[in-house]
Amino acid sequence: MTLNRILIVAIAMIAALVARAHHSFAVEFLEDQTDTIEGTVTEVWFKNPHVRYYIQAQTEDGEIVNWDVRGASPTSLIRRGWTPRTIQEGDRITVHGHLGRDGRKLLSIIWIELAGGTKLSEDY
Amino acid sequence: MRALTLTALLSLLGHQALANPAFEGDWFIDIATDGAPLMGVLEVERHGDEWKAWAEGGPAPVTIDGDRIVVDVDSRDIRGFTFIMRLDGIFENGQITGSYTIHADATPLLGPGTWVGAPYDPPARSNESDPFDLSGIWKPGPGVDIRKYSMDLTAAAKEWHAGYVMHYDQPGVRCISPGIVAMVAWGAYPFEVLDTQNRLTFLYEVDSEVRRIHLEERERPEFYPPSGMGFSLGRWEGDALVVETTNMMPNVRDFRGEPVSGNAMMHEVYTLSEDGQRLDGVITLHDPENYERPPIRRRHWVRDPGIEIYPYECDPDSFYRQMYNEGKLDMYFERSKRRM
Repeated sequence: MTLNRILIVAIAMIAALVARAHHSFAVEFLEDQTDTIEGTVTEVWFKNPHVRYYIQAQTEDGEIVNWDVRGASPTSLIRRGWTPRTIQEGDRITVHGHLGRDGRKLLSIIWIELAGGTKLSEDY
Repeated sequence: MRALTLTALLSLLGHQALANPAFEGDWFIDIATDGAPLMGVLEVERHGDEWKAWAEGGPAPVTIDGDRIVVDVDSRDIRGFTFIMRLDGIFENGQITGSYTIHADATPLLGPGTWVGAPYDPPARSNESDPFDLSGIWKPGPGVDIRKYSMDLTAAAKEWHAGYVMHYDQPGVRCISPGIVAMVAWGAYPFEVLDTQNRLTFLYEVDSEVRRIHLEERERPEFYPPSGMGFSLGRWEGDALVVETTNMMPNVRDFRGEPVSGNAMMHEVYTLSEDGQRLDGVITLHDPENYERPPIRRRHWVRDPGIEIYPYECDPDSFYRQMYNEGKLDMYFERSKRRM
């Protein structure tokens, strides 16, 4: 892992802790259930109150699923080096996160791996 | 002394000991965690044969057996997961010492630790003004607040709160100001203070809110448009800045939805560390329409001139879009009357 990559991981971890205070993670997500998806970014929503990436992924059965992937607030991410340019529409990414409640196709980012192998973490 | 002796005797005989009356009163509790320390006020009262306790203004079930006290404080972590912090302590030599354990369904962020309780007297403040320089950029520091989440609601507030739907009823998720009561206790974003003659101006990053604290001697205006930030008057009591805020829009204390009425008054006391780098705040909400006892929050911030305060553009589209996708728009608008 390059120094740059380590730095990105570290700053994102701090950012997540600070920014989650916005509203309750617990209301929307399950702490003990996670999933990993790989797909294409169809939309980048880098706005307050929370960053969202819309990801189109394909299941093993070939079904296309659209995921709503949630991150921290933009201001806290930008302050630490994660900008709107970090992940862009059309990027192929892998996301590991907490699943949404009630079977909703939501993921709260724990980490994201970019096509080049860089890993961004938002774990607590 | 007589009670103590009797307590000890009954304990030796295997009986449940008489409660030590010395527990009655207000205690300042200092909790040592595996992270930043937490603190708060624990009020213990005896009502006939029954003991009752309140932590930071909220009810906390208590058991007292001889010199032992066990208090359950409902709390939550920064993610919103709730847990019970069970304080278990022994009274000895005028103070309480003990440990605490965490009881939760989810894995808590907080590990077990210890605590100390000392008799609490509110600090006496001088009438002489001894202001400090508050200007600069402040960022939140961890800890201090125990995040007790249930307060002593009035019957009307209980009824209103029972119908609150978390997330969908929270103003902040649709980019409406969360209100100064929630914001000041949030501790999630930096703010900048401009110190000009007779006025302190707080520029909060979150929601790009601007708050003016008037230091000149003046009456509250007969009418002032209610807002998320309200109308704030400040004064110096010795080396403490005391701020009282009214004219707030009805809102909620935090995402769990306990209400704040339009007639509420928020009382804040700010003190500065000797080196001028740490600002501590105690925030008390006086709102008798909703609370039998005032809820208390505590925060601290540290100076960080290197931080830039960013603009905060908020777009509620993603909130409505989610509801549209989930078929909940009707539910949302049918509840419009509840939104204060």
